[in-house]
Parts: sequence; structure tokens; C-alpha cells
Amino acid sequence: MTASASERLASRVILLVALLVVVTPLVYLVGLSFKAPEGIFANPMAPFSWPLDLTNYRNVLAQMNVPKFFLNSLIYAGGVTLGQLLLAIPAAFAFSYYHFRFKNLLMSLVLISLIVPFVVTYVPNYLLLARWGLLNSLVGMIIPMLGISVGFGIFLLRQSFQTFPKEVFDAACIDGANSWQVLWRVLAPASLAPIVSVAIYVFIITWNRFIWPLLVGGGDPASYTMTVAVDIYYNNPESGSNWGNLMAASVVSTVPTMLMYIALRKQILRTFTEGAVKG
Amino acid sequence: MAAQPSLAYRVKQRSRAQALGDVGNRLLPYLYLAPALFFISLFVLWPVARAFYNSLYDGNLLFPYREYVGPERYVDLLTNARFHQILIQSGYYLLLMLAGAFVLPVLLAIVTLNVTQREVGIFQSVFFLPTVIAANIAVSVWVWFYNPTGGLFNTVMKAFGAEPVTWLRNKDTVIPAVALVAIWKQFGFHYLIALAGLKSVPNDLIQAAAVDGANNRTISRRIILPLFGPTALFLLVITLIQGLEFTFVPIEVLTRGGPAGASSNLIYSIYQEGFRTFRVGLASAQSVVLIVLFGGLAYVQYRMLERNVQYDR
Repeated sequence: MTASASERLASRVILLVALLVVVTPLVYLVGLSFKAPEGIFANPMAPFSWPLDLTNYRNVLAQMNVPKFFLNSLIYAGGVTLGQLLLAIPAAFAFSYYHFRFKNLLMSLVLISLIVPFVVTYVPNYLLLARWGLLNSLVGMIIPMLGISVGFGIFLLRQSFQTFPKEVFDAACIDGANSWQVLWRVLAPASLAPIVSVAIYVFIITWNRFIWPLLVGGGDPASYTMTVAVDIYYNNPESGSNWGNLMAASVVSTVPTMLMYIALRKQILRTFTEGAVKG
Repeated sequence: MAAQPSLAYRVKQRSRAQALGDVGNRLLPYLYLAPALFFISLFVLWPVARAFYNSLYDGNLLFPYREYVGPERYVDLLTNARFHQILIQSGYYLLLMLAGAFVLPVLLAIVTLNVTQREVGIFQSVFFLPTVIAANIAVSVWVWFYNPTGGLFNTVMKAFGAEPVTWLRNKDTVIPAVALVAIWKQFGFHYLIALAGLKSVPNDLIQAAAVDGANNRTISRRIILPLFGPTALFLLVITLIQGLEFTFVPIEVLTRGGPAGASSNLIYSIYQEGFRTFRVGLASAQSVVLIVLFGGLAYVQYRMLERNVQYDR
């Protein structure tokens, strides 16, 4: 479709306005983290004040055990990602290569699990963890998450496995490989791109989770993730938050996912849209 | 999909002589599915079943006491004025989310078709940024924006000579203020989906129509919109289903449901009853109402997609 020059100009202006609205909070997030604590309300119209002040970052690094909480986030997000892949890859394989009874019913269960609101599952799962003595532990934080959003990985991987040429399987089977070997030695290595995409998606979503890690790990600093720590240390609506510190801690905790996003932007955007449009 | 013989079928053919292997092969797909289905059942489907059961009892998260209430629970809930308030507020949230996280992204995606491919890349990447940041962290900067004295919004209001507004303590402004944050966080993702859906409309169809003398408006109405239908429907349903979920962290960080419950909704209320007042029965009953509403929505989408005309390429 061809648009006239004036249409193109108007479109650009509209999009630029939207861009400005989306970006402003992020600019302030970074800007406020570099303002001196006493100057945080000095000039609200200017997100940055010069020279940049590092007091907030020094406070955060001194008050919070940043390496520990980072490690916790890494174990939590990494554990969930790895676990979900180990569950989703064989399941997607079954759904894309086999015909079997109840296939549609089982796939519906997987899809239904994706629309169940998290608040419905959190109370029963919390009680289950309490009974197993897994509260305030990273293991307890990870295990229920292996069920809660694994359906998305199954769904996405099934889409890409279905496009894999079947002849390759026949060749492998004739060479005497069983299906387990075909799955891990042929299909998985050949599908590295979609698998990595799902891994990035799951990792970012999990790293960013807040309510679940707060419920399960919020009782003991040894199991705080970064998102939980930022909230517990610096966000206090009743007595007033320490804004500069809050923003600095927020920036620190966002660095890994932001770096991943910048480095792998194209792949991430593709993964996030794939399921939606194909489905 | 069913036309191609599957690997299982071929493997079966190959090893027809081995009866044992045959049985094994028929069990194989279930074995591959079992671990994932085990976790999904235990941590998602079982809790849903529990919610139905628990809703019939009075129970407490902290103390092991339970008393049968029965279906009366639902009569109480559905005639409770406070619950009506929660439902009305949920509806208000959803209306705002529909405007900001469905209509707006679709309109902007349509507008985006007019700019160059390189610009599209920039807009996509930037609009998506809030999605990559943890919700509680992204929301914290909005707390500062809404600060009644010295926050950005009231500073701007003052510059225009308007009275300062206590955005989060005022019953009239609190829901739009919270919804705005949820929309800002979710907007980029929905924009991306809408854009991908619009771009999946085959270009040759559009060009063929143009050659036949169709103008832009006809092309939009007769070709792009019908083919965009399924994506739009999907987007509509996820906006409705996830809309309330995406207001959850903003509510928790900005208002905790206040003032006096004025910014609560169904999802937040379930969380509060469960984890703040520990009334498991009540939380479960509200969960059941939510599941029924969502299940209905998903079913409607499923039926509509089924009815949708398939366009051959």
C-alpha cells in the first residue's frame, strides 16, 4: 500500500509522540538514580541533573548484598529456564511427530494451563510448598514454575518442530537410532535457534517475576531475588521511599535483562510474536 | 496435518516384526509427555480443582480449621455489595485496558505501515522496552510521577496553573492512574503482535487489488482487515484475559487496592483475601468466578476462530 507524503509525515509524528510517552518513564528511572538524594524533587521537569551523582549507587552496593541477590535471581531464572526446556522439548516432540489417542485433549490441557490466572494457583502452591518445607528456598521457588508457564514453551517448540523435514528422521531411523536419540542428537541440535529463543523468553520473564518470589522467598534475605530485594529494601509507600536508592537499585537489577534485550533484540521480538500470529 | 504419516507410524512399519517394540512405540508419546503434564497438572490444573472444592468451605490459610459452607457461599458472594463493587471496578479496568492495550496498539500498528522498514525496527524496539523490565521496578518510577508534592505530573499541572491532584488517593483518578501504568507496560507487546499480524497479509494480494484499481480504503477494508481478523481477535482475548493480571503489580506497588478498596479488582481481591486476610474459602470462590469468566472468554474465542473463513494463499 502506498501512502502519500503527508500521510507518511503524520504517521511519523504520531509514532514519535507515542515513542516519547513510552520512553519518558525509563529516562526518569535512569536519571533519578543519578540525582543527589537531597535534589530528587528539586527540578522534576529535568530528568537528569549535572554532574551525575553516584551516591545512590554507593548506598545500594553498601546496603544490599547485590552479588548474593543477583546470584539468587540467576539460579531462579536459570533453573526455571533449564527445567522448562527439559520438560518442553520432549513434550513438543511428542505433539509434533506422533499420532496418539487423546492428543487433542492433552494439547488443550496445555493451552488451558496458559490462561489460568496466577492468583488462582498461588495459594494452593504456597500451601504445598509449606507442607514440603520448601518456603524461603530457591528450590521451592523454581519447582512450581516448571508447571506454571511451561505450556508456552511446548506450544512454541511444537510450531517449529512441525516444520522440520521428516526425511532426516527416516535417515536417522534407518541408521538404527531410536526416537530418544533422534530427539536429542538430531532434532534438538538442528532446532537450536527456536530453543534458544524460548530459553531467552523464559529467562527474561522469570528474572522479572516479582509476586511469586516475594511470596515464597520474601521471608528470608538468603532467598531474595533482585526484584524482591529492591522492593523490600527501598520501596516503602507508608513512610516514603528512598527514591534515589530505589531507582539505582532498579537500574542495577535491570542490567542483565536489558543487556540480553539489546544483544538479542531481533530474536526476542520474533519469539514474542511468533506464538501469537501463528496460533 | 494428519495426512503425512508420522515418524511413529514409519517406525512402527519398520519394526512390525518386533511385537514388544510395537507396544513400546505406542507408549512412547505418552512417556515424552508425562513429565511436562505431571508438572502442569500438579501446579496448575490441580489448584484450579482445589479452588472449586475449597470455595465450599470456610478455611484459614494459617490455622487448620475448616467448616462446610456449601453453595451458599456463592449466594453470599454474588449478593455482596462489596463484591459488586469489585466486579464494577474490574469492568472499568478492562474498559481502560481495551482502549489502551488493544485499540491503541492496533491503530498505531496500522499507522506504522506508512513508515520505512528501518523506522519500524526502531519503534518496535523502543515500544517493547517496558516489557523487558520487571513490573515492580518499572512501576516504581510512576510512584514518583504521581507524588502529590513535587512529582512530575503535579509539577506539570502547576506549570499550567491547575490545582495539584492526589492521583492515587482520589477515588476518581486512582483506577485510570493505575491502568495507565499497566497499559504502558503492556502496550509494546500488543503493538508487536498487531504489527506482525498486519504484515502477514500477503503483499501480492494487496498489489493485485491495486492493479485492479482498488483504492487504499477499499484495500484496507476488503483485504487487510478480514485477514487481520484472527490476530485482532487473539489480541482482544489476551487483553481481556491478561488485562486484570497486568494491573496486579501496579496496584500492589502504587495503592495496595486503596483508597478504601477503590482501586482493587477481582485478581487483586483474590490475592488479598488469600494472603492478607487468609480467608481461603472466600478467595477460592472469587477464583471460581474468575475462572468461569475467563473460560467463557476463551471458549468464545475458540468458537469464533473456528468459524473464521480460511483464506487460501
